[in-house]
Amino acid sequence: MSGDTLTRRVRKNSAFWLQCLLGLALLALVVLVFRTTQSNLELLGVQSGFDFLWKKAGFSISQHLIPYTEDSPIWTALAVAILNTLLLAVFCVLLASILGLAVGIGRLSSNWLVARLSLAYLELFRNIPVLLQIFFWYYVALRALPSFESSIFITDYLVLNNRGLYFPFIEFGNGFSISPPVMGRFAYEGGFYLMPEFLALWIGLSLYNGSYISEIVRSGFQSVARGQWEAGAALGLKPAAVLRRVAFPQALRAILPPLTTVYMNMFKATSLAAAIAYPEIVSVFVGTVNNLAGRPVEVMAVTLAFYAGVSFLVAWLMGRWNKRITLRGQ
Amino acid sequence: MGSELKTPSARQGLQCRVTTLGWLRQNLFSSWWNSAVSAVLLVLLAMLTARLFQWLIIDAQWAGSEPSACADTSSLCWPFIRARWRQFLYGLYPSEQVWRVNLGLAVGALLGVALAVRRMPARRWVAAFLLVAYPPLAWWLFRGGAGGLAPVETSLWGGFFLTLVVTGSVFWVSLLAGVLLALGRQSRLALVSQACTVWIEFWRAVPVLVLLFVVIIMLPLFLPANMEIDRLGRAMLAFAILMSTYLAEAVRGGLQSLSVGQFEAARALGLNWRQSRLYVVLPQALSVALPQITSNFIGLFKETTVLLVIGLFDLMGEVQRAASDPQWLGTGTTAAGYIFVAVFFWTACFSLSRASSRLERRMTRYRAAVYRP
Repeated sequence: MSGDTLTRRVRKNSAFWLQCLLGLALLALVVLVFRTTQSNLELLGVQSGFDFLWKKAGFSISQHLIPYTEDSPIWTALAVAILNTLLLAVFCVLLASILGLAVGIGRLSSNWLVARLSLAYLELFRNIPVLLQIFFWYYVALRALPSFESSIFITDYLVLNNRGLYFPFIEFGNGFSISPPVMGRFAYEGGFYLMPEFLALWIGLSLYNGSYISEIVRSGFQSVARGQWEAGAALGLKPAAVLRRVAFPQALRAILPPLTTVYMNMFKATSLAAAIAYPEIVSVFVGTVNNLAGRPVEVMAVTLAFYAGVSFLVAWLMGRWNKRITLRGQ
Repeated sequence: MGSELKTPSARQGLQCRVTTLGWLRQNLFSSWWNSAVSAVLLVLLAMLTARLFQWLIIDAQWAGSEPSACADTSSLCWPFIRARWRQFLYGLYPSEQVWRVNLGLAVGALLGVALAVRRMPARRWVAAFLLVAYPPLAWWLFRGGAGGLAPVETSLWGGFFLTLVVTGSVFWVSLLAGVLLALGRQSRLALVSQACTVWIEFWRAVPVLVLLFVVIIMLPLFLPANMEIDRLGRAMLAFAILMSTYLAEAVRGGLQSLSVGQFEAARALGLNWRQSRLYVVLPQALSVALPQITSNFIGLFKETTVLLVIGLFDLMGEVQRAASDPQWLGTGTTAAGYIFVAVFFWTACFSLSRASSRLERRMTRYRAAVYRP
């Protein structure tokens, strides 16, 4: 290389040695922490390994989407907790997206009242801590619901009381059948029900994150050039059709990247469930299992791996979707 | 941009010519469909306002400051706030030492106000004092144990005071760490940039509550037995790890917005790496990143409420603790406490975000004026 002057070579060399030094220091730190942890665990008499996952769980979980009893192994409890986390996350994503889209479009409405109320929603829910909102729904609003004896019938098959929201559900027994909730002696049986903890988290997280989504949707639509709206109208499309067919696909390009961030934040915020004991991964695994099995390192590793895994999966999927809708050459 | 339609001059021009009736017709009842929507919303709004007024004011219990003042446990109980006011402000901080908290916070507030005044003499020194000398001094004042001040264990700290201490300290540490991480991520040295990238991307995926548990449970295992960090210290470490990665991403956005010319110009002037970063790159990058940094600050401020899950009592935690006192049990008490906390956070966050967007507009104007070709 003819352009390689002496100073540049010296600089390259020093960079190389600097990195070697840094790498060694990093390695030394990792080894040191590892050794300290090992000796600390030995001092405490803590065993290590993942064999505890196959032991009997011995505790019950109030909501399980797959068959689970106290005799099931701990890995089944983990699966139940993960499914509960994902169920909550999916419900929240759906409701928050609907709210955010509606309010975001409402912000742009020519109706003054609609625009102002949308703004009021945004400013009210965005500036109050989400945990406080969840607590409000759980400890105040849902506590005010009537007891089982005087349940509210939203329709004949949709029953609401202070034990949760009951609705019909597909029953897998011999073939499919739809089972409606039936009033038993002490509670409603059959069908499926969402416990108050779930409802509080669902409403709280959706209202809070919906406010962020509404702001993203509004600025997304505002980033669509005025000429596009006018061109749509000039083609004789109705305003709703212009919104759906012309503006929305273009707005989506500006909406998707920040929307991914909100979805991730919402997914991470499902961990707040531990504060009101909805059985998701933090409250079941980091809470109960860690106390029973006494394997803090393994429990934390599994939990961190779960959150990191789902986050990277979501980022990857949203990135692919984003790539598909990006204009070529941009 | 649709915002062009909403410039003040256009709106004022409209208001001069249009009567109230005309305004109503144009903005609420412009079409059959709009009229229907407006009418329904107005009715709903009136009903909601009436219900809220009833619940918050008429049905609520106002007089007294004893638990007996709230005989009805289901309607709102404002005496609860009056009775527990001190606890909400300071937690269990010993009452004869509370002057230390007041003094520390007052000095901090004064410095902050001084910094906001544009014509302040020696503003640079005020900023330097606030950023460098104030945090350790305030920490010493609150914690005590040296220089004649009686020690106050951090387990006694709580309420509004703890919320401010955690937000301030974590932000202070994270801003420095975040800038270093952002610079590290852009480093020429592959190992440094890779290590910073992995560190940032990993922690960005982890919820704050999980990291709090990890640090609370695991940190004692990682450290030698003679090194101990108290619960508050561990919680702040967890917050700082996350906050610094968020701030690093914000600063990185600022760094990427700079043109290559700025880096080249700094090098052409003969500045070395440290000088060019300190005098050319960072001032510009930080000012571009300022809106992001502020919104992260607001996020941190709201997120401190999570502390109550791990047994530390910030403002929200103190309210929760006071509301679970058997003497005060009842949904009316809990609701009053929550409304109090909500009003506090709402006012603070709303003013902060308004101030931030005003500052952002001013900086945009300033940049447009300075960089005009």
